This record gives sequence, structure tokens and C-alpha cells, in this order.
Amino acid sequence: MELEEEVPKQSYSEKEKGEIFNQEFLPHIHSMYNFGYRLTLDRDDAKDLVQDTYLKAYRFIESFQKGTNAKAWLFRILKNSFINDYRKKSKEPAKVDYQEVETYYNSEEVDRQITPDLRVESLKDMIGDEISNALNSLDVDFKTVIILCDLEGFKYEEMAKILDIPIGTVRSRLHRARNLLKEKLSEYAKSMGYNKA
Amino acid sequence: MNNPINPFAKPDQQKPSCMEMLQTILDGQATEEQKQYFKMHMDHCMPCYKSYDLDMSLKQLVQSKCCGGAAPSDLIEKIKQQIEQKSS
Repeated sequence: MELEEEVPKQSYSEKEKGEIFNQEFLPHIHSMYNFGYRLTLDRDDAKDLVQDTYLKAYRFIESFQKGTNAKAWLFRILKNSFINDYRKKSKEPAKVDYQEVETYYNSEEVDRQITPDLRVESLKDMIGDEISNALNSLDVDFKTVIILCDLEGFKYEEMAKILDIPIGTVRSRLHRARNLLKEKLSEYAKSMGYNKA
Repeated sequence: MNNPINPFAKPDQQKPSCMEMLQTILDGQATEEQKQYFKMHMDHCMPCYKSYDLDMSLKQLVQSKCCGGAAPSDLIEKIKQQIEQKSS
């Protein structure tokens, strides 16, 4: 299993392994659990996924260079575990046509008009689970970039490494993901309006 | 008045679109200089001002509504136990 191709294998004592695990890996467990939950949409599956991820991280700890970006490394392992072990169990999600994404991205006029019904005021009325449900309903590839960028604050370069995609694709996927999220919320906003009528 | 140099300009000096500038800000990739430039740009670009307002509100809502809270309390213990079993 390749995690960081360029980093030479490290050699740690048992004590050092424990320190790295406790001080560099475990502090990210809440973010990891949230990421696992958003991907699987099931709390038990999320626990299993996070547990598998930490066990793999420990097993491959000598591929990790102490003091480097543990969070990105862990997110990468979790994402790969999800794709390899969990995604296969559920039905295969629809493939995303990224050529279409690129074309779309180059059309600013279309973009400006995409969510005519969504207003800041409507967003402020969404005090329940609307935002969370809308995020959960997005295709895995799209919700992943929103989580990595907006919730976890990863930079393009880190996201590219976590997801194994070029930076240009990270950028266009984020753009498309934000629009899809707005479309979803626009539908909620409409239904809220109907309820008031 | 001289127009200030656009700090979003690409290496080939091509003018970036409003949408490209906004996305750089939203994605947390903008430098301080770019943020300042965009603030001034919004003073005379209503579509950018509106989009920025909406997109930033959404980003903040995602942050407050989707952070998920703490992992279950038994999860860390379970992981530690498993590692101890495998190491012994």
C-alpha cells in the first residue's frame, strides 16, 4: 500500500511509535469521524472506517515522517479505505462526467444564473438539518471536496494529494460542488416558501 | 487614476474573471493582497458583491452545521486496545 511515495521509510522505536500515534494521529479523530460519517452516512460504519484507518496508520507508521502533515496523511488513508472496502459493498454511485464540469466551469453567464431563488435570507432561515442533509445528498466526490476545503481547511495542494487528482481538477470539482449544494438548498428554500403560503 | 495591478493575474497576464477571483477567495487560497484587491473590486461590481455574500454565508453555515461534534467516546479506547493486541 503506497501512502507517501517520496518519503523514505522511517525507523521508530515502540516508544516513538506510541508518541506519534498519541500526539500526531489521535488529535484528528473527531475530524476523521465526521469525514467517515459523511461518506458512509452510518454511525457504525463510520466508527469501523475510522478504526480501520487508525490501525492501518499504525501498521504503516514507518511510511510517515514524524512532524509532517499527519492530518492529510490520515484523511488520505480513510478516503482510500472507503473506496476500497466500503464503496464496493454499496451500490456503485453514478460516475461524474468531469469533461462536462470543465465546460461548465468556463461559462460564467450560466454560472451566475444557476441559483436565482437562493438568497442569503433563505439560508439564514435554514436553522435545522437542511444544510447537513443537502451536503449528505451530494455525490461522494463532490461532498468530499466541500468537507476537505470548508470544514477542514485543506489547501488545493493537500487536497490533490489526498484525492490523487490534479490541482486543476480539485478547483473545478469544488466549483461544481458549491453549485450543486446551492441547487439543493434552492430546492429547500422553494419548499419553505410553499409552506408559508 | 491608475488601476492597481491585479494580484489575481495569471503568469501570461491574462485577466482573471470575477468568478475565478471569487473562487480563490472562497477556497481559502487568496493572499492578503488578493483579498484587499477583491474587497475594492466588490465596491463597483454588484454581481460579485452578491455572490460573495451568498457563498460566504453558505460556507459559514456548512462550518457551523456540518462539523459533526465529537467522535464516540469509546472509539479511541477501542482503537488503542486493538493496537495493543496486535503489538503484543
